[in-house]
Amino acid sequence: MPKILIIEDEKNLRLLYQQDFERDGFEVVTAATAAEGLAMVQDEAPDLVVMDIRLPGMDGLEAMSRLLDKNPKIPVILNSAYSSYKDSFMSWSADAYVVKSADTGELRTRVRELLASRANS
Amino acid sequence: MVDRRRTLLGDTLAIVMAGGQGERLYPLTRDRGKPAVPFGGIYRVIDFTLSNCLNSGLRKIYVLTQYKSGSLERHVRIGWGPLFNHELDEWIQCVPPQLRVGERWYEGTADAVYQNVYLLEQERPRYVVVLSGDHIYKMDFARLIARHEANGAIATAAAVEVPLAAASAFGVIAVDEEWRITAFQEKPKAPSPVPGRPGTALVNMGVYVFDTETLVRALTADARRDTRHDFGHDILPALVDTKKLYAYPFIDENKKETAYWRDIGTLDSYYDASMDLVAVEPVFNLYDKNWPIRTMAQQLPPAKTVFAQEEPGGRLGIVLDSLVSGGAIVSGGRVERCILGPEVRVNSYAKVVDSVLMDGVDIGRHAHVTKAIIDKDVRIPASFVVGEDPEEDKRRFTVTPAGVVVIPRGAQLD
Repeated sequence: MPKILIIEDEKNLRLLYQQDFERDGFEVVTAATAAEGLAMVQDEAPDLVVMDIRLPGMDGLEAMSRLLDKNPKIPVILNSAYSSYKDSFMSWSADAYVVKSADTGELRTRVRELLASRANS
Repeated sequence: MVDRRRTLLGDTLAIVMAGGQGERLYPLTRDRGKPAVPFGGIYRVIDFTLSNCLNSGLRKIYVLTQYKSGSLERHVRIGWGPLFNHELDEWIQCVPPQLRVGERWYEGTADAVYQNVYLLEQERPRYVVVLSGDHIYKMDFARLIARHEANGAIATAAAVEVPLAAASAFGVIAVDEEWRITAFQEKPKAPSPVPGRPGTALVNMGVYVFDTETLVRALTADARRDTRHDFGHDILPALVDTKKLYAYPFIDENKKETAYWRDIGTLDSYYDASMDLVAVEPVFNLYDKNWPIRTMAQQLPPAKTVFAQEEPGGRLGIVLDSLVSGGAIVSGGRVERCILGPEVRVNSYAKVVDSVLMDGVDIGRHAHVTKAIIDKDVRIPASFVVGEDPEEDKRRFTVTPAGVVVIPRGAQLD
């Protein structure tokens, strides 16, 4: 069962994502800060990471570049309430950029696509 | 503040790769990186690329350093910094590794720029010119950038045309009739000839122009792949399929019959390029007022020769077919086909032939030096002989495949 790591500081969103992804048949682990999330990448070896950008302390863009430096093959989806970070060069390292929405449909679709393309590569 | 962005050059950022360790130039690179190696008496290797930038009108320059960068940083700061005016949005700045991306050194030229993407983010130039800090040539980058724009290219690689047989030692660029790049070939046994010119091939000079967005997208994608993270090997080949990648023919501002471009990669190529300067009709001209080569200026007294005792056994200070830097004194010795750095001293009855003496070298009385490179401040004792007995030289010094003796800085020969 593929494992997804959610790095998200809003508790309610963490719960929502956890429910939806578990319903889709994934194992889900969550972190509330970038530091906690980076530690979990090592301990949990997730197959994909969903990363919020505005986080307390280290932000999601810096966390992503640190994560990718050690694990360049792990797909990362940036997930922000703001689309403005799409202009940031740092964000271009992500496999996908999904703007937050009450409907998790797009995010779940991108997760399935990325895991499928990874399985095929 | 003046808005320099209104012009093509004002909206271009230059990145000079100066992190090369230069293992094959050891021992000249024992205490300094390759771009900081002294060359041509008063210059350092990087001065030629920086002079090209300045003469082309590129005035936003980052120099990416890595190994033993202290002397290079000082040279750029003191020698080049004052030529750029911050108030006019101009600068030249050395950037050592910041470890922003991860705790590791640069792993290839592309990785060096990738780790500094934040510099591009801050400036957001329209174009980025990527250059090597260890080549000797004269090139107008303004013409290169103008052609890049006229072609509607996303990236352009400058290329020097060389005879087909000589191209096998280099990275070769294959192009179609419109100079659109069709392939990159690394040290190919059978290089692709230039269309319409079957006897020649295009060698990749490591001089590139990129649209900034193209560059950043290519670097971020490459960073996630298992590659050598090298511009010529990975970044540009990955863009060939866009069909918007062009080659640009090297137009030599040196204005000689044969285009002059040298990669100072080995001790022998360093020696050969140095000797290119002392020929009567030098293939590389340092004296063209339309393309001045700058360096860090030093206040030094004029070079001098003394003793004119032309009778047999007399003391005769004489210099033939040589470059002589400020402060050098040839005092009763003989110098032929040499490059004498600043404050070199050649004493009575000494004979120095076909050699490069860097700053402060002192040649003792009756010493003989032939076909040697002597690094800074070495004192050659009286009656010492270099370059006449290969076995003895090999026992004490580095001797290159072509037989050049290299004496490192700080060598104690007494």
